[in-house]
Amino acid sequence: MQWWCAAQTAAWSWAWRPYPGVWLFILTVAAAFAWLRRRATSRDDGMRAAGITGILLLWVALDWPIGALGGGYLASLHMVQFLLIALVAPPLLLLGLPAGAVPAHARVLQQATHPLLALLVFIAIVYGTHVPAISDAAMATQWGSFLIDMAWLGGGLLFWWPVVGPGAARERMSPPLRMGYLFALLVFMTGPGAMITFSDVPLFATYELAPRVDGIAALDDQRVAGLLMKVGGGFIIWVAISILFYRWHRTENQLIEREMADVA
Amino acid sequence: MRSGMRHTHGRSARGLALLCLILPAVLAACERAAGNDDAQARERRTGFRGVLLDAPLEADFTLTDTRGRPFRFRDEARDNVALLFFGYTHCPDVCPVHLSNLAAVIQRLPYAQRSRIRVVFVTTDPARDTAQRIREWLDAMDPSFIGLRGTVDEVTRIQHALHLPAAALEAARPDGGYDVGHAAQVLAFTDGVARVAYPFGTRQTDWLHDLPILLVQLED
Repeated sequence: MQWWCAAQTAAWSWAWRPYPGVWLFILTVAAAFAWLRRRATSRDDGMRAAGITGILLLWVALDWPIGALGGGYLASLHMVQFLLIALVAPPLLLLGLPAGAVPAHARVLQQATHPLLALLVFIAIVYGTHVPAISDAAMATQWGSFLIDMAWLGGGLLFWWPVVGPGAARERMSPPLRMGYLFALLVFMTGPGAMITFSDVPLFATYELAPRVDGIAALDDQRVAGLLMKVGGGFIIWVAISILFYRWHRTENQLIEREMADVA
Repeated sequence: MRSGMRHTHGRSARGLALLCLILPAVLAACERAAGNDDAQARERRTGFRGVLLDAPLEADFTLTDTRGRPFRFRDEARDNVALLFFGYTHCPDVCPVHLSNLAAVIQRLPYAQRSRIRVVFVTTDPARDTAQRIREWLDAMDPSFIGLRGTVDEVTRIQHALHLPAAALEAARPDGGYDVGHAAQVLAFTDGVARVAYPFGTRQTDWLHDLPILLVQLED
């Protein structure tokens, strides 16, 4: 029995398989989330729902069947995992943390989550984990696959911290800067997305030499993965930019209306 | 303070600009390097990404093709690059992966090259692999692939002549099915003689590298 989803030589089967390491990890994340919320002074049910959704999506991404298929059979589902673990679950988890849950003013945390550093580290993780040699070596073992998933989650939390981190964390950059920060990721994700989509040959041995799932050809699967990275990742980032823009616009309007009322 | 911030921003901009230059180069290198490390090491030693055989092998056998006609391998292998593989259609892993990767590469070659390559599949499981089943299975990958059937004894003799282990039936599974242990390499014949073998793990980049060389050998 495997504890974490990784590449396998056996043919894919739709028979359910347990991954106890994933369950233990999800329970740990849920416990940490609950503990951090309890520390906070303010509580908001809407934010809690976002956090719980983030934990559930993390579970979906890591456990059978998506985790198992993405771990060793289909590059496209590996990309779905990446999108969920690095781009969807982290902002939801952070939105679930009320102000005061984490000491956002702490010097160490402020330095570690400096927007430029966060962006660079996340880009390095995105590029590094999509280098075929690194990905193939990692996905061959459960520990390697676990490290890839943790790098995505850690990098995702770091990247989203300046945008939707709790309390003062998100006030570090003005709304236009936060939108620009998200857009920068979009630009940098174009590189690996294009490389994976337009390559003439399968790049990842893990998926090229894996037993076929429903006869899906390795190159077709890889092209879907590349498109998911570009289009799916782009969609997530544009949704975030749109929400930021809408909120900024609404705040500015409210300020103008208040000033007009004061003048009147 | 302001001067310090400008300094930091300047460094950041330079860092980002450097990243913009370095990352595409890293990606380009990754795409070039994508391939089997062992195969690339072999290429440096021998010029082939496949495994050079210790001694050339010849094969002269006749089996029945999927149309029910006799197929003499030697005749086809004489004027073409013939890629011979022993496997079975119920194979869950090696056979479909190996052959579909080969099919994907052959379909990308120009017609002049493609038309001089024969992929010959010999079943090691004649009990389940009917001619129709073999044809349908191969057609799903490449209709030009040739499927052959023979008795277990005939196929075993051919494998022995090619220094390959004989296929072996494995224990029946609870669902009544069974697997067949078989050699996992593709033997490449030029002018009727096999000099290179391609084990499981051969990647599309490796085939793309070696097939044109095999075709040139054929011309020479």
